[in-house]
Amino acid sequence: MLTAADIAVAFGGFQALRGVAIEAAPGTIVGIVGPNGSGKSTLVNVISGIQLPDRGEVRLNGRPVPLGRPDIVAAHGIGRTFQVPRLARRLTVLQNMLVGARAQVGERLFPLFLNPGRVAGREREIEAAALAILRRLGLVAKANDYASGLSGGQQKLLSMGMLLMSDPGVLLLDEPAAGVNPVLIEQQVAFLSALRVEGRIILLIEHNMEMVANLCDRVYVLDAGEVIAEGTPAAIRSDETVMRSYLGQPA
Amino acid sequence: MVDFVIYSTTTIALWSVLGLSLNLQFGLTGLVNFGQVLPFAIGAYGAGFAAVHGLPWWSGAIGGIVLAPLIGLLVILPAGRLAQDYWALITLGAGEIFRLTMVNVPAIADGIEGASVHRLGDRTLAMLLALGLLAVAWLILHRIAEGPLGRLLRVIREDETLAATLGRNPLRFQMLVTVVAWALAGAAGVLYAHVTGYVSPASFMVIETFVIWTAVVLGGPGSNLGVVAGTVLVQLTSVSTRFVAQWTHLPSDLVANLRLATFGLVLVLVFLYRPQGLLPERKKAYDVDRR
Repeated sequence: MLTAADIAVAFGGFQALRGVAIEAAPGTIVGIVGPNGSGKSTLVNVISGIQLPDRGEVRLNGRPVPLGRPDIVAAHGIGRTFQVPRLARRLTVLQNMLVGARAQVGERLFPLFLNPGRVAGREREIEAAALAILRRLGLVAKANDYASGLSGGQQKLLSMGMLLMSDPGVLLLDEPAAGVNPVLIEQQVAFLSALRVEGRIILLIEHNMEMVANLCDRVYVLDAGEVIAEGTPAAIRSDETVMRSYLGQPA
Repeated sequence: MVDFVIYSTTTIALWSVLGLSLNLQFGLTGLVNFGQVLPFAIGAYGAGFAAVHGLPWWSGAIGGIVLAPLIGLLVILPAGRLAQDYWALITLGAGEIFRLTMVNVPAIADGIEGASVHRLGDRTLAMLLALGLLAVAWLILHRIAEGPLGRLLRVIREDETLAATLGRNPLRFQMLVTVVAWALAGAAGVLYAHVTGYVSPASFMVIETFVIWTAVVLGGPGSNLGVVAGTVLVQLTSVSTRFVAQWTHLPSDLVANLRLATFGLVLVLVFLYRPQGLLPERKKAYDVDRR
């Protein structure tokens, strides 16, 4: 169970989050929706350690997750993607994937020189894993292309692939469908459903309400840094407050 | 003529080590070190300190090679959490602070006068030692650049936040890079002191850092082979200025200054027309189809 409690963040005079609390259980996809500027990405930045909150706490399975330390958060098995994909653009697609893997003995100086056999073995393991994921994502033909040469949608898929290389227990996905063509979105939906079956926790920030309705078990609606509604996608769609602040008209 | 070839080869080998060291920091990891002359000077002053204080040469060598990375960590720790532009300024300042300390504290190694160090009389031996150091540096840095560590360093170069969200602490790896790179540059400094037989603050001016930068930028940041090629071009230009002075009958200090102006021009032209350098970092392609 991933819980975030009483999360507050202010940027100067602007209160981005005002005591937000959410929870997400293993094997569920929890949607976070809300208008632009409502604090969705800030919430994901806090949970992933990129943004240090003014107050609040994050727990995974009851144990506190350190705040403001993205590297340690990732080591807890909490991984994320970004709204604008972050990639090493001057490395190839496959190299980006390989860096996603954890526990790389070849990144430590002494094994790199003193135990080349073990380093090579680990490289073969993660290369095989990376190619398998690239096949599932339909990116294997691009494996040796520079990441900078991918389309926006492909970059989102690659980010997802890099995240999966770390075998995370928690996936924080910031608008994975934005700018992605409909065929790839369908592929992503199938993909995320499969990840849910594996018992992972998935937090999905998304504007695509159809995707949210199809995938999410539970939805939180943020507005001006506060949770204004929570419930099943169907309940959210019929909630009047939500329609006024976000959807604009009856669905 | 043979003497000149030996001298040039020795110089090229030593400056190649400095270039490879900078390439690990800047080319691979993205650390803008404008004080690359500092670890080189620390190494040389290790030798100078030992000579002035009557200590055995090897204690100066060890001191220089150990002290260079330690001082590197001291410089990086406050700078580590700052943006890269501050990093450039801090390293630039640290190099000057060290040089001015050597000028003003004669107790360390005879101040502005400079200190005599045991000079390697056999110039061929000096050249072979320099080539040996280059070989060691090459083997270490090639293994780093081509392996998983180099891959991660390049990700840190491209996007530190990405590296952090992938579970790596960028500062830890920047420290590791600094230790390795500064130790190698320190070793080059020790050897330089014994090759020239003399250590003086005038040898470690800011301009030396930019000669090393010119070689890295010209050759190809991120490419070890490119950096060595860049160093060969820059140092050949540098050592041949004495002939230019003879042939043209121009005053030699004017020619020396023209040399620096040439390096500046080379930097501008490379930035404009070939930012990837003469021998750019190569793409690492995997055999995907065979699996």
